[in-house]
Amino acid sequence: MGRWSEDRVAGAAPDAASLAAARKLARPGPWSETGSNDVLVWGKCQGSGKTPYQVSVDLAAPAYRCSCPSRKFPCKHALALLLLWSRGEAADAGTEAAGFAREWAEQRADRATVRERRQSEQPADPAAQAKRLADRLALMDAGIADFSRWLADLVRTGMASARTQPYSWWDGVAARLVDAQLPGLAEQVRTMGSDIHARSDWTDHVLYRAGRWWALTKAWRMRDHLTPDELADLRVAIGWPVPASEVEGAEALPGPWLVLGAHRSDDGRLQQQRTWLRGPDGTVVVLLDFAARSEPLATPQLAGALLDATVARYPGSAPQRALFTGGVGTAGMAQTLGEGSSIRQALNAESAAVASSPWRERHPVLLAGVRVCTGGSGWLRDEAGDALPLVDAPLDSLLALTGGHPVDVFGELEEGRVRPLSAVVGNTVVTP
Amino acid sequence: MTWLAELRAAALVGTARHPAPCPPAELGVRPPEGPSAEESLLDQAALADAVTRAARQPRRLDDAGLAEPAPPDHCPQATGEAARLLDLLLTQPPVGPELRTQLVTDWLKLAAASGVRVPHSLLPPLLAVAGTRPSVAEHLHPAIGTRGRWLQGMLESDQGASASAARDGQSSETGDWAELAGTDATAELERLRRIHPATARTLLGGHWDNLTARERAAHLATFATNLGSDDEELLERALHDKAKGVRDTAAALLDRLPDSARAARMAARLRPLLRLNGMLRKHLEVGLPPEPDAAAIRDGIPARPRNGEPDRLARLDTIIRGAPLDTWTSATGRGPASSIALLKGETRILAAIASTAAQRADLEWVRALLEDRFEPRLLACLPPPEREERLVRYLRSGAVQAFALVEPLRDLPRPWGPELAATVLEQITAKSGGQLAVMLAGILPAALPPEAAGQCRQLLERSDDDAARRRVLRDAVQYQSFRQSLTEAFL
Repeated sequence: MGRWSEDRVAGAAPDAASLAAARKLARPGPWSETGSNDVLVWGKCQGSGKTPYQVSVDLAAPAYRCSCPSRKFPCKHALALLLLWSRGEAADAGTEAAGFAREWAEQRADRATVRERRQSEQPADPAAQAKRLADRLALMDAGIADFSRWLADLVRTGMASARTQPYSWWDGVAARLVDAQLPGLAEQVRTMGSDIHARSDWTDHVLYRAGRWWALTKAWRMRDHLTPDELADLRVAIGWPVPASEVEGAEALPGPWLVLGAHRSDDGRLQQQRTWLRGPDGTVVVLLDFAARSEPLATPQLAGALLDATVARYPGSAPQRALFTGGVGTAGMAQTLGEGSSIRQALNAESAAVASSPWRERHPVLLAGVRVCTGGSGWLRDEAGDALPLVDAPLDSLLALTGGHPVDVFGELEEGRVRPLSAVVGNTVVTP
Repeated sequence: MTWLAELRAAALVGTARHPAPCPPAELGVRPPEGPSAEESLLDQAALADAVTRAARQPRRLDDAGLAEPAPPDHCPQATGEAARLLDLLLTQPPVGPELRTQLVTDWLKLAAASGVRVPHSLLPPLLAVAGTRPSVAEHLHPAIGTRGRWLQGMLESDQGASASAARDGQSSETGDWAELAGTDATAELERLRRIHPATARTLLGGHWDNLTARERAAHLATFATNLGSDDEELLERALHDKAKGVRDTAAALLDRLPDSARAARMAARLRPLLRLNGMLRKHLEVGLPPEPDAAAIRDGIPARPRNGEPDRLARLDTIIRGAPLDTWTSATGRGPASSIALLKGETRILAAIASTAAQRADLEWVRALLEDRFEPRLLACLPPPEREERLVRYLRSGAVQAFALVEPLRDLPRPWGPELAATVLEQITAKSGGQLAVMLAGILPAALPPEAAGQCRQLLERSDDDAARRRVLRDAVQYQSFRQSLTEAFL
């Protein structure tokens, strides 16, 4: 593993306060017995107590351990240690791993082997598996039937009366969907419970969304006639994920993978991180990382970085979800994101994607030579005079970086708006 | 009604009360036979969803509304440690808000001195800080470079602040001034007074008769900036004004011009009231002024009220404030210090003299008065080195309450000289100095010269239960070390 950059360390922090605390600790004073090798960084930090805290970081996973009582992961000590190491101020390579760090690493390795063995040794009982699957499908069928009855009720009584319902009404429907093992649908219904009050275009929004849900229930009933990709898209939409272990066995695509851009969101329950990558043959994939509220997300990849890694793709239509199948190394920084398209072309591509995968709401786009314009939440405008409104975009930052000159912008198309994730300014990929 | 509108209406009230429409033939869909109204509506909703999403069109933005892109930046961008430190200050300040403000200002000054500019990516957080901290806003230029100026313009015009154009450009046409609304006109006049007092005077003089009384008073008040003898003519004219507010403003401004005709008239009124008395002519007696005549009333001396006794002392105050200070020295035949001694016990008269001296910043009198009394406004007239010297004396002698010195200390240019720094440190580390330390907390770190950092560090190491005081000292040490890294980063 190469040395991390300071940005990468900052990205690993669970919140800004931890990072600020770590910066204060990131001086050689309190540290002793620091060192690092290919996979581990370790050190002892003198805190307020008598015995110094023992800090170890596994760079490959990444995983963190510290003997301090903090419930944040990584804690400020681990971050401070990484900061020092990233600056080359401590934890130089070549020393023998400290006892506590080695012990921890060995324990982790042991546990991993045990887990693997348990999984591989588990006797596969085809009969039991088939029964579990049949049970699940029966449960889901019943849930879908219940949901279509609810949709029919919804349109019989009308959207206006649905709007007078409290949030708990929507939440109740969502809870039934969760019980029927349809968490993807449940999430959408829950979101609607707040959107119907928050959005000014709520009539159209509920109408279209009800239509899409209706189409989902119909598609589910005819799932035996769908192509494998269509079925995979449907499974994502209703929330029946393909386990990662099945994907790992799939064909691995070699890199280098260019990081087009990444987006992090936090809806209060769950943090999500999407990272868009493009392979050497132009294949675009998206990595999804999830973490509960208080847990750290995987370290974000820097937009414009070329990653030396192989990825395996989940089933589904392009752009597919993917995961890394091994270690990730950095193979330099790209100077450009490649050939972009006009706004009109991008929207045409979106139309085509809707036709093949109607459940997908977000489409990656690389726009060529667009200018950032003010007005409302801001606009991107291409040479032809076509424009798209921005969403979730720090307008001041985009203006500062581009100076109003035409640049290539990578972003996500969503409901006719674009969320810019990276831009190419003067042979460098920058994030607004 | 279009198909979509029909569909929307049906969905809104429900199919129980509104029938579902039929999908339009143009879409080429054939609805299945025999579904219920609900199913038909949901089918069409699904169709509408797919059609809407597949038929999105870009919006058009005209060339006309487009802003010009930013011109190129010719200054090199700050790099390496300097850029990293600014990023740290803006995004994860390791110090409190006051110190952060000071350090960001220091950064901007150092950048300007070394001819580098703020990296483009840091402009938004910097402008956000400048929005709430005037001292940062003041030093934005030239460090933010061409891109920064451009961005400021873009963000301002985006917020629709159209008045800004008048504020930043020299280009604002004086011909348009009369068009501006009340407070904007005053603001513009104030700006002009700072750079071209004569233009502002001509402007106001030209429009004088078309303005309301309130506008005349407000506009005239801006003449407090760069007031000079050239303004006297307009001020004399304002003394005739119908409105009392305008007359009072003019009189207050003329009080600051000891060489004016009104000052001479006031001197003529004051002179007969002064008489040296006593065996050794050791006391200066000051009589009360007579009933004012029309000319005196015009000069601002209060007339006899409709009922009740006139306030003769207030009349005397007005005369003292208007008359030149040398009226006193010529009456006594002695210098200011001795003249003040002759007035011992006449507190009201001395107070009027002090405010006159402070208003005119008459240094000879200010110094003489400061020997007699401590007044922050008098102190503020002195040049900084002399102020520092006096503050050291006040602090050491303990003649003045230390808290009264907080304001003058805040007003001093920073950093302070070594002597003042040492004295202040001595005071705040004294047993009862904790409160003073807290009052000076905001300014102390930047006010102490770099040489004092060592002393702070030593003081900090001494055990002390006063947490607030420790914090002040720690801030000072932190500021100095951060400041040191800044200086090194720009070498």
